[in-house]
Amino acid sequence: MSTSQTIITPIKTDLKLNCLTDEQLSQLQEATLQILETVGVKFPSDKAMAIFEEHGAQVDRETQIVRIPRELVMQAMSTVPRYFTLGARNPELDLQLQDGVTFFTNDGCGHDVVDSKTGERRASTKADVGMMARINDYLSSMSFSWTMVSAQDCGVTSPLHEIDITWRNNTKHYQSVTMMGEEICRYGVEMATVLRGSIEEVRQRPPISLIVCSIAPLVQDKEAIEGALVLGEAGIPIVVMSMPTMGTTAPATYAGALAVGDAEVISATVLMQLANPGAPVFHSILHAWADPRTAAYVGYPLDSRARYAPVEMAHHWGMPALGGAFGTESPELDSWQSAAEVATDPLLVGLAGAEIVTGIGLRDSYTLLYPEAIILDDDLLHQARYSLLNMEVSPETLAIDVISKVQPGGHFLSQKHTRKHMRTAMVRGVCHQLDSEGKYRHPVEYAREKVTWILKNHHPETPSAEVQKEINRILETADKELKG
Amino acid sequence: MSDMFEKLAQAVIDGEPEDAVALATEALDQGLDPLDCITKGLTKGIQKVGELFASGEYYLPELIIGADAMKDALEILEPALVGDQKRDVVATVVLGTVQGDLHEIGKTLVGTMLTANGFRVKDIGVDQPASAFVEAVKEVDATIIGASALLTTTMLQQEKLIQALDEAGLRQKVKVMVGGAPVTDEFAKRIGADGYAEDAISAVNLAYRLADAPV
Repeated sequence: MSTSQTIITPIKTDLKLNCLTDEQLSQLQEATLQILETVGVKFPSDKAMAIFEEHGAQVDRETQIVRIPRELVMQAMSTVPRYFTLGARNPELDLQLQDGVTFFTNDGCGHDVVDSKTGERRASTKADVGMMARINDYLSSMSFSWTMVSAQDCGVTSPLHEIDITWRNNTKHYQSVTMMGEEICRYGVEMATVLRGSIEEVRQRPPISLIVCSIAPLVQDKEAIEGALVLGEAGIPIVVMSMPTMGTTAPATYAGALAVGDAEVISATVLMQLANPGAPVFHSILHAWADPRTAAYVGYPLDSRARYAPVEMAHHWGMPALGGAFGTESPELDSWQSAAEVATDPLLVGLAGAEIVTGIGLRDSYTLLYPEAIILDDDLLHQARYSLLNMEVSPETLAIDVISKVQPGGHFLSQKHTRKHMRTAMVRGVCHQLDSEGKYRHPVEYAREKVTWILKNHHPETPSAEVQKEINRILETADKELKG
Repeated sequence: MSDMFEKLAQAVIDGEPEDAVALATEALDQGLDPLDCITKGLTKGIQKVGELFASGEYYLPELIIGADAMKDALEILEPALVGDQKRDVVATVVLGTVQGDLHEIGKTLVGTMLTANGFRVKDIGVDQPASAFVEAVKEVDATIIGASALLTTTMLQQEKLIQALDEAGLRQKVKVMVGGAPVTDEFAKRIGADGYAEDAISAVNLAYRLADAPV
C-alpha cells in the first residue's frame, strides 16, 4: 500500500484582494433582498414551498414563485455557519475552513475523455472517475476530490457508483457534482453512514458534500433542491451554485448578473436554514457571457473583472465561498489559449479568499478530459501558491558574509551556502524537467509520464472489506430500485 | 596508508577543500607517494563526484566544491612529484575569456567540469588578448584551447585568436573550442574553430573528442 502522498498544500496568504467596496457590497445585498421580496424565485417543489409557507413567506402555488420578506431572509441567514469541517476518509486530510486558506480540487462533470495513448475521444465511464480520483489523491495541490467526469456506463445510479469508485481510489473529502433527487441523496447519506459508522459521525466529519445548481434566471431545480434538503438534514454540506449568463439569463451588466445569481443562491440557502438551522452551505456564482452575435457561452472574455467578486459577496453574507477557476474554452490540451485564459485564476481566487476552488484539469468549457491536463493545470496552481508564500529575510538568507567572501566579479557556485540552498532555491515546474542530456523536456510528455507513474505506483488505502461489502449491498439495492 | 587515500577521496566527495588540503599536507608528512595520493585518492574521489552528478544526486555546487577540493589538494601534491612522475591527464586545456569581455562564470564552470573529468586546466582568466592564450599554450604545452565570449562585440575576438595561433605556427598543434551565449555552431564553423559547446557538460564531451580520447 503506497503512502507516498499524504499531504495537501492549499494556497495560504494574508493578502486580500478587494474588488468591491463595502458600499457596493451593501448595494448588491440590498438588490438581492429586493428581488427576493418583490420578484421572487421559482421553487417547483411542494416540499420547498411548504417549508416557506410554514415560515411566513409568500408562496404562489400556481406559479410556484416564492417571495421572501427581508426579515425572514436575514433571520434565516443568521444561522448559516461561516466555517465548518469537510471530513476526509483519512482524518489527517480533513479540511477545516478558515480565513486565508484556499483549498483546491479538480474540475467536474466532464462527459468526454481523450485517451492519451490512442488519441481516441469517447464517453466517460466509472473507470475514468476512479482513475482521476487516484491521480487527485496523489497530488498535494488537490485538497479534496470532485466527480471529474460522469460514470455514463452506470445509468441513473451513476452518482452512487461515482462515490463508490472515488472512495476506492481516494482518501480525501469527496464533493459530488451529480447527486440529484431525494432517493439518490438518501442512498448517499446511507453510504456516508456506513463509511463513518454512525450518522453522528457523518455530521461531525461529513465525508461527502454536494454541489447543486440553480437555473438562471431565478429558478430552482426541484431534484437539486429536494436532494439538498435530504443532505442538509444529515449535516452534509451543500454548495449552491448559480451560473447566470450576461445578456441571456441575466442582465448584460456585471452588477445585474451578480444580483440575479446572488438571489438564486441566497433563496436556496434560506430554504436550507429554515429546514435545518445551521446547515452548512457554500455560496457560489459562476457568471458567464453570451456572445452578442452568436449567444455562445463565453467564459473568458477580455474584460472579466467581476470573476471573483462573488467571493466577497459570499463573505459579506457570512458564508464560505466556492470559486470557479480553470474553465478554458479551448478543446486542446496544451494550446496557448488553454493556458493563457486561466493562468491568473488561481492567483486571483486565492487573493479573493475563496474557501474552496474547483476547475482544474478539464478543457472545452468543463466538458473534456485529457488525463494529463490535471498535471499541467496543477503547475499553474503551484505557481500561484508560491507567489503568495512569504519570503524569508534573515541573516542566513541575506548571506552578507558569503557575498563579502565572493567579492565583485567572483561566483557563488563554490560556496557551501550555495550548496546548502541551491537544491531548493529553484522549484522545477513542468516546463523545467530535464532529459538525460540536460535539455528541457516537452511539458506534455512529462505530464503523460507522471500520470502513468501515479497510476502504476500510487495505491491509496481502500475502505475496509466490511465497509465495501455494505457499500456493494447499497449499490445493488439502489440499482434494483431505481433502474427498475 | 590506504586509509589516507580513502580520506582524500572522501574530502573531495564531501566537498571539503580545507580538509583536502590538510590531508594532503599530512600525507606528505607521513612520507606517502604524492602520485599515489593523487591517483588512488583525489582522482577516485572526483570520479565518484562525477558519477553522483551524472546520476542526478549531486547538483552543480557539489560538483564545483568537489573539484575545488581536488584543485586545492593538487597544489600541495603536484609540486612534491619527483623525477619524471606525472599525473595522468586526458589533455591539457588553456581556458579563458577573450579580450574586452569580463564574464567569468561560464568559463569557470567549463574549467571545473574538465578538471573533474581528468583534464589539466590552465585558466588564464577574463579579458585576455589572443597573445595571452598563445603564451599559455607554449607554457603548459596545451593541445586544446577553450575561448569564451558572452557579447556579440567580443565574440569576434575568438576569430582573432585563431588567426594569432596561425601566425604563431601553433594552429596544427592546438584544437580550439568556443562557447558563450551569442556563439553558435554555425559561427564556430565560420571562424574556423574546431568545435562549439553550448554548456559545460557538452564542453567536456567536445574536449574528449578533440583530445581523441574515449568519452
